[in-house]
Amino acid sequence: MIQQRDHEPIGRVVATELKPATPYQFHFWTAQETTIGIGAIVRVEDAAGSGERGAGRVVYGVVTDGFAYSDLATPLHDVVGAEGDPVRAAESPTVRQEIRLWTAAVLRQMPEEPLQPVPLGRVHVATDADVAQALRMDSYLSGPHPTGIPIGLYTSGGREAPVFLDAEFLLGPEAAHLNISGVSGLATKTSAVEFLLASIFQHFPRHKGRIAAVCFNVKGPDLCFLDRPGTLDEEDRRRYERLGIAPRPFERVRYYAPFKADGVNLNTLRTHPDLVADVEPLVWGLQEVLDFAEVLLNRDDIDAKADAFIDFLADRMLNREFDDGFGGTHRVATFADLDRLFRAIFDGLELAGRSDMWRTHHIATIRKIRNRLANISTRCKGLVTDDGPSNDLPWGGFEDRTVYVVDVANVDPLGQDLVFTRVVSKLREHLERRDLGVDAVVVFVDELNKYAPADGPDTYVKKMLLDISERGRYLGLVLFGAQQFRSQVHRRVVGNAGTVVFGRMDADELATPGYQVLSPATKIKLATLPVGELMTRHPHFTQPIFVRFPRPAVLRGRDGVEQFPPAPDLPFEDAVVRHLVKLDARIRPNQVKDLIADRTPEDVRRALARTRQARPGEPFAYFRRLLGTRVATVVAPVREAVSPLNPISEEPY
Amino acid sequence: MRAPGSWVDAIIAAGAVPAAYVPDARSGRGDIEEFTGAELVEGAELGTHAVGDVRPTALRAVSFLDGIERWRVVGYGGVTPIVRAHVAAAVRARGPDRRLRTLQEESRELAVTRLEALTPAVREALTGSRVRVVEFAAEEAGQPARAIQAARSEVERARAALEQALGERRAAALGPGEWLVVDGVLSDSAALSEHPRTLGVIKSHGAQFFEGPELERALTLPAGHRTSVFRPRRRGARREIYSWYLRLWPWEGNDLLYGMLRVEARADADTVAQASGLSAWLVRERAPVSTPDARWDRLLYPIHDVETYLKSRAPRDLVRPPAFRLPRTGS
Repeated sequence: MIQQRDHEPIGRVVATELKPATPYQFHFWTAQETTIGIGAIVRVEDAAGSGERGAGRVVYGVVTDGFAYSDLATPLHDVVGAEGDPVRAAESPTVRQEIRLWTAAVLRQMPEEPLQPVPLGRVHVATDADVAQALRMDSYLSGPHPTGIPIGLYTSGGREAPVFLDAEFLLGPEAAHLNISGVSGLATKTSAVEFLLASIFQHFPRHKGRIAAVCFNVKGPDLCFLDRPGTLDEEDRRRYERLGIAPRPFERVRYYAPFKADGVNLNTLRTHPDLVADVEPLVWGLQEVLDFAEVLLNRDDIDAKADAFIDFLADRMLNREFDDGFGGTHRVATFADLDRLFRAIFDGLELAGRSDMWRTHHIATIRKIRNRLANISTRCKGLVTDDGPSNDLPWGGFEDRTVYVVDVANVDPLGQDLVFTRVVSKLREHLERRDLGVDAVVVFVDELNKYAPADGPDTYVKKMLLDISERGRYLGLVLFGAQQFRSQVHRRVVGNAGTVVFGRMDADELATPGYQVLSPATKIKLATLPVGELMTRHPHFTQPIFVRFPRPAVLRGRDGVEQFPPAPDLPFEDAVVRHLVKLDARIRPNQVKDLIADRTPEDVRRALARTRQARPGEPFAYFRRLLGTRVATVVAPVREAVSPLNPISEEPY
Repeated sequence: MRAPGSWVDAIIAAGAVPAAYVPDARSGRGDIEEFTGAELVEGAELGTHAVGDVRPTALRAVSFLDGIERWRVVGYGGVTPIVRAHVAAAVRARGPDRRLRTLQEESRELAVTRLEALTPAVREALTGSRVRVVEFAAEEAGQPARAIQAARSEVERARAALEQALGERRAAALGPGEWLVVDGVLSDSAALSEHPRTLGVIKSHGAQFFEGPELERALTLPAGHRTSVFRPRRRGARREIYSWYLRLWPWEGNDLLYGMLRVEARADADTVAQASGLSAWLVRERAPVSTPDARWDRLLYPIHDVETYLKSRAPRDLVRPPAFRLPRTGS
């Protein structure tokens, strides 16, 4: 709703030789009692026909600094007047003349040409319509295909106006990516992203196609209850209504989490009996790992010889009949198969005693690669299966306006890297082929300073994040990154984020060079920002704007854990029963326990995984049939090579 | 520097030679500069009274009156100066929030010259404009220096008249318990000098009311003290008034007149009774100090505020321009 313009000015532009008005900045004074403050948007105009120079120009600005001073020549004069007694100073019969002087940065001038200094005109509080004009939102909120995505309410001077981001610049292709910074513990970063995702899902223009989100839950239960309603108060509901967003949790959320080391209990906090049925296990085999083996190697490991052997492994041995040269034939599909091959090679070389070389690869190189691959299967047991079918995200079957939560909060950091790299690379791969099922994907990554640090080695993860940052917008792959300290994230990752959001900031962080463009007053406001308020930069906004957003309409992680406490880990037999009962509620627990009583856990896990993957009509019968014989390993489909990333270059973003 | 489209343009177009001379500003009404004598109305001899421990008269609401004058020689008709003057006065009232707000304000623009000394064309241009023309005496018109002094006197008179008119209007409108403090003497106005709740505060001390030991006693008054109330002898049009000296700040180490005010109030027995209470109240008005004004030791802050207010609204072209600035050179 457009509010009626208030014709009463609240201030007047002043300019002196020392504080002149320029095309980008101006100063104005207001009454002592004024509703405006840092971040307020104001409109400067001269009355038509006033005869003043610049009459007819309208300038929008945002307040960036404020000053107050009196006509006191020096502090000493106040001491003299009060005879050194502060009590008497407060009792003086007259209050000194004071001024409230504000500095504002120009947001927009109309007309935009010729660009001239701000006229010394009257200052008004901005209305809804003014805010839309000032932030150039008029260009994307109207027309046949509006692309506005509400991000929050601009509130100042007793006014309130919705602020929209342009989907073309938030989600591509014009610009893309969002970066959010803020101190930890205030629930601002995660809340803001949850709210913004809900806003995107409800306002993403239909003509731009289908959209989904992939969120990596890297700590605690933050993103584990996105499908559950949270607590909202009246003010939250009013803000939702003002922004035109329905306050409801996400309708479609798919959860993925790896197993714990036992291979049957899920490694997530969403294990409450009422909710665990929604969680799909995330299990990867050798092939999934080998595609991204570089992630597993540290800087010293990466050399031409190791690289050559990994290539040899992937191209010549994986899922192929292979002669080891010592009379044995192998078909490597799992870690177990690979280990058998390695043993055969080592034994063969030892028995032959002829050389340290096998197929042009030195035994030391082979041992190194074996160690690294064995390492991941040990450290990430539960995510990586030694021997069994994998269970992955629904590549090619992504659904519109669906959130895919990948919970790696309790996974080893190496495993987190692997999950993160593989999921994002697969997204990129499918979006390039346009066969993901959606046209755009928002990837939310917290702790960006860990994955793409400003300094440190060029890891595969960092290279991949740089690749998304620089080229993702053309594919529809959009990075929503969050971190506590923006200064500690690679500058090309943050620099390529078209939209930048700041929550409450640490004072030390604000003292770093990246924040020099902000006025001291804006920095102070950032350092004391309340929960629910953000400072936003967007390509259409020439200056940062403060907005308030309602609490996300989903259950907060902390509340979710209290409301749905995680179930304790089940014994192996009970966990197997639970998985099968999930497939078919008619299955009786004792029936399962009797069946698996004399079986090895490995066989049971493989059979269970195959059953879960096949989803047969009679799960128990299928499961029993698999356990009747040795369960064959899964033959993975023909491997499709992942196109290499471009090497990191020094070109600026 | 001329106000565009003004009568100044008209007289220049009519042949007056443009000029730009801004004399030193003088604001506020001065005191008479002669020995007049006085009669004591409080005690048998001039005494000093400490007011530090006296309960200040509680003034519910106070208004402050002051005026300013700004003038500039804008042209010459032959050797006769043509002066453009701006006089203004305002009354600002102090509210419960201790802030001052303008109650009344009036300003006038004047052209001061001697019409008959101007060429017909210039005279016609001047009289044809809507500006109010004030003439100084014919005998002052011959010599430019005397003419400028005569013009200054006319401007001062105009300003004093404006102040008086505004003060009388305000005094007539004062409600019960409301006071009006005037910067300068009250005795020029019958209405002001007879009003029970008006005070005149005089900062300049040209008039001499005492001689000998009494003069010494008056001028060496300690800080926070007042003299006995006296009645200045009447001169000319001046009305009956009561007066006393009040020292706001210690004079020792400065000057005899440092921090010295002379207060005027209605010639009435009540004034004598209220003199200490009013003095105690005026002493409280020392804070806030009205720096950076050089007269801060005697200038009450609210009066300074009225003056600042009027100055801020005065035409900018009548303000003495800052020193000419040469561009910086490379060396």
